[in-house]
Amino acid sequence: VGGWFSSLFSGLFGTREMRILILGLDGAGKTTILYRLQVGEVVTTIPTIGFNVETVTYKNLKFQVWDLGGQTSIRPYWRCYYSNTDAVIYVVDSSDRDRMGISKSELVAMLEEEELKKAILVVFANKQDMEQAMTPAEVANSLGLPALKDRKWQIFKTSATKGTGLDEYNLHCSFFRHTSLHSHWVNE
Amino acid sequence: MYTLLSGLYKYVFQKDEYCILILGLDNAGKTTFLEQTKTKFSKNYKGMNLTKITTTVGLNIGTIDVGKARLMFWDLGGQEELQSLWDKYYAESHGVIYVIDSTDEERLSESKEAFEKMISSDVLEGVPLLVLANKQDVEVYHLVGGGFEDRASDCMSVPDIKTAFSDCAPKIGKRDCLVQPCTALTGQGVNEGIEWMVKCVIRNIHRPPRQKDIT
Repeated sequence: VGGWFSSLFSGLFGTREMRILILGLDGAGKTTILYRLQVGEVVTTIPTIGFNVETVTYKNLKFQVWDLGGQTSIRPYWRCYYSNTDAVIYVVDSSDRDRMGISKSELVAMLEEEELKKAILVVFANKQDMEQAMTPAEVANSLGLPALKDRKWQIFKTSATKGTGLDEYNLHCSFFRHTSLHSHWVNE
Repeated sequence: MYTLLSGLYKYVFQKDEYCILILGLDNAGKTTFLEQTKTKFSKNYKGMNLTKITTTVGLNIGTIDVGKARLMFWDLGGQEELQSLWDKYYAESHGVIYVIDSTDEERLSESKEAFEKMISSDVLEGVPLLVLANKQDVEVYHLVGGGFEDRASDCMSVPDIKTAFSDCAPKIGKRDCLVQPCTALTGQGVNEGIEWMVKCVIRNIHRPPRQKDIT
């Protein structure tokens, strides 16, 4: 009965915070996306050394969003943040064809981590406003997403500077309607 | 003795795993069908609200156990730009479920094109094919002379769809194929379809299952 009440309670008031990591290579647009989500504006960013963390509220749900620096030298530290992560937003610069391979190997290495076994994967094919941007299907292919056979994944085209693809509706599709998360909420 | 014991172990602790691909145009009802299937076949599964399902842009997965068989579903996004990803899954699929929106006569030819492209793939040769004529519960109102017809007509029936897809028949060839009327939202026709699919994938000796330990 206690569990039922607490689930009802969290259903009504949404007390639990969801932890989301924003990862991707340097210059992919992670910080711009974070502040687009939080304040809805484009902020001038500098390369992140370390991390930015913000709380984003949507309806009665709270997200704790961590944006980790993407430079080669600090990528090994991503794993320090993996525990208790509900979802990973993996940001890709769709116009950076040369580094797609590196982006793929970082993604593959990340998904092998035990701590992220249950995390949802959402890929943002960012910088869609650029002329030479790859389509979401091309990005999905170059990242090797079709090889992921036992994990749910989603891909969205976004442009952080223009704000496209980053509205509440998209977020809603990405996280709230996710089945396993849904039951996660119910079970807590 | 070893064979006996290992056989017993396999019998008790292993399941035959079959991978089933769910394809079709966007808004055909693939995810709704998957959720309905999970709700019907797994005891402890708390389904999501079926009316709140939105467009899939990527991959949804689901697993159900039917007897000794374990079905693993891959529900892929059906939008045109994502259809190019479908064939990446063909080689490992044991069965394909193709979902058609029976109320959408306008996009039937588009659906047929995607269907034809899919069955033309050599990789899928001999793989059982379940075609779902979905949304059978919906009544369709047609636009007549600027206004809606006052009388609702039925959506496309299985014979209608079979007629429209008739020239695909040679490409379907010898593989097992069933067109099943269905309403994913209410669950009507779901059990029949899944049970048929289980029977066919087990019977198809050309694609043996993956052996999976029960964990």
